[in-house]
Amino acid sequence: MLVLAFDTATDVATSALVSDGEVLGERTSRAVTVLEDVDALLRQAGAHTRELEGLAVGIGPGSFTGVRIGLATARGLSLALGVPVAGVSTLDALAAGAPGALPVIDARRGEVFVLQGEPRVLVPQEVRFGPGTVCVGGGAVRYRAVLEAAGAQIPPDDDERHLPRARFHAQLARKFGPADLVEPMYLRVPDADKTRE
Amino acid sequence: MILGLESSCDETAAAVITPDGRILSNVVSSQADLHARYGGVVPEVASRRHLELVTPVLQESLAEAETSLDDVELIGVTAGPGLIGALLVGVAAAKAIAWARRLPLAAVDHLQGHVASLYLEPDPVEPPFLCLLASGGHTLLLDVQGRGDKARVLGTTLDDAAGEAFDKGARLLGLGYPGGAEIDRIAREGDPRAYEFPVARVPGLDFSFSGLKTALLHAVKELPPEELERRRADLAASYQRAIVRALVERTRQAAEQTGATRFAVVGGVAANSELRVSLPEAAAAPLALCTDNAAMIASAARFTRTIPYPGYLGLDAYASTA
Ligand SMILES: [Zn+2]
Repeated sequence: MLVLAFDTATDVATSALVSDGEVLGERTSRAVTVLEDVDALLRQAGAHTRELEGLAVGIGPGSFTGVRIGLATARGLSLALGVPVAGVSTLDALAAGAPGALPVIDARRGEVFVLQGEPRVLVPQEVRFGPGTVCVGGGAVRYRAVLEAAGAQIPPDDDERHLPRARFHAQLARKFGPADLVEPMYLRVPDADKTRE
Repeated sequence: MILGLESSCDETAAAVITPDGRILSNVVSSQADLHARYGGVVPEVASRRHLELVTPVLQESLAEAETSLDDVELIGVTAGPGLIGALLVGVAAAKAIAWARRLPLAAVDHLQGHVASLYLEPDPVEPPFLCLLASGGHTLLLDVQGRGDKARVLGTTLDDAAGEAFDKGARLLGLGYPGGAEIDRIAREGDPRAYEFPVARVPGLDFSFSGLKTALLHAVKELPPEELERRRADLAASYQRAIVRALVERTRQAAEQTGATRFAVVGGVAANSELRVSLPEAAAAPLALCTDNAAMIASAARFTRTIPYPGYLGLDAYASTA
């Protein structure tokens, strides 16, 4: 099965083309330019859009706008190509890229998204983990001081485990179905005031 | 066929038109109900709703036009100005469809879109004309010389847009959202001369509505609650008259200065019945094309530089023209 995977929920967007588990290519950019990567991936693999059989898209949590760019892209592709879509949690994909580690995504406004039994939004001081736990992700980098003081181990800032990688979205994608059933994971209600994210 | 997509504010819209400007479908899903309880558009709420509606609206527009993407030759999408998070939903979806089908894309300016609502069949208006664009987000006087030209801005608002003035006025009067339609409705039972509200005198061809809003606030404050109930229609009618007078006076002034002989009114405020009566000689698009819609975006796409594949893959949205 030829799967196109991408995730634009965090600062670094990731995309990958995966054929029956074999990674044909993987690229990084920003949410707005993710289709440039997708285009390059297909060209490098000599694949045509018609050959795509499934899309795996990151549903967040992360930047609200970033999450929506990914899902709107998936909806447009699915509509135009008639391919089914599977949603993958950005936290799950991060965890898959760093076995045993705790994924921590920057949620802005002094908070992080973490898997704490379930995906939650917390201030860094509230994140619970065992001593020596490795924390990965943009939130781990940003709140390194707080988390290390609480006993976490955090790889260097440029360690690739901090970035979601779309090969893991393709790997984790299970239920492919209608794009509209793939919903974003926001974990926060919108502000009723008019401030922007 | 041209597929248009619009998501700059609180309407999710898709439309299919022919290259010569016949509307085959024009689907608009308004979020007004959703935002009514806040008395205005909440950007994050709007953006979330756009994502939920973008596929159904696109599908409906194709179905209603009895066509499919196979027949679409060009996609036009609003790239700005507007709420950035809202715009990006439409832009991302449009880019994805265009990429998947290797179609060209036109990044349409929302304001050009409003003007291009006048170029649709069955009664297209041919430039040159002087155009008053009045909506929730914009109040502009434009000198339109050609369909493909960027219109010259003769005047704009220094504070609130006319649509915002209606919304804020409606809130002061305890009326619902969107304010323009509510005030228009209740004003029919009121005396437009009951209150003498000021029309701002700002230099040039610009507009200002903040003083008017303050005048209404004072008038409302002076009334005991039961009295306000009784005078609400008079206040609405007088307030509406002041907004419309400001718009009409400036438009006529601009016509004098530029020697324009023909006017047009576009944008949501163009649906206001008082404005239509006060500028009887102005061409106006049908009501369904005044408020935000995608037929006007598809129409503008015809006169916007089209970007062939793959030039648009990194296309971004923009919040403001400045
Ligand atoms: Zn508009």
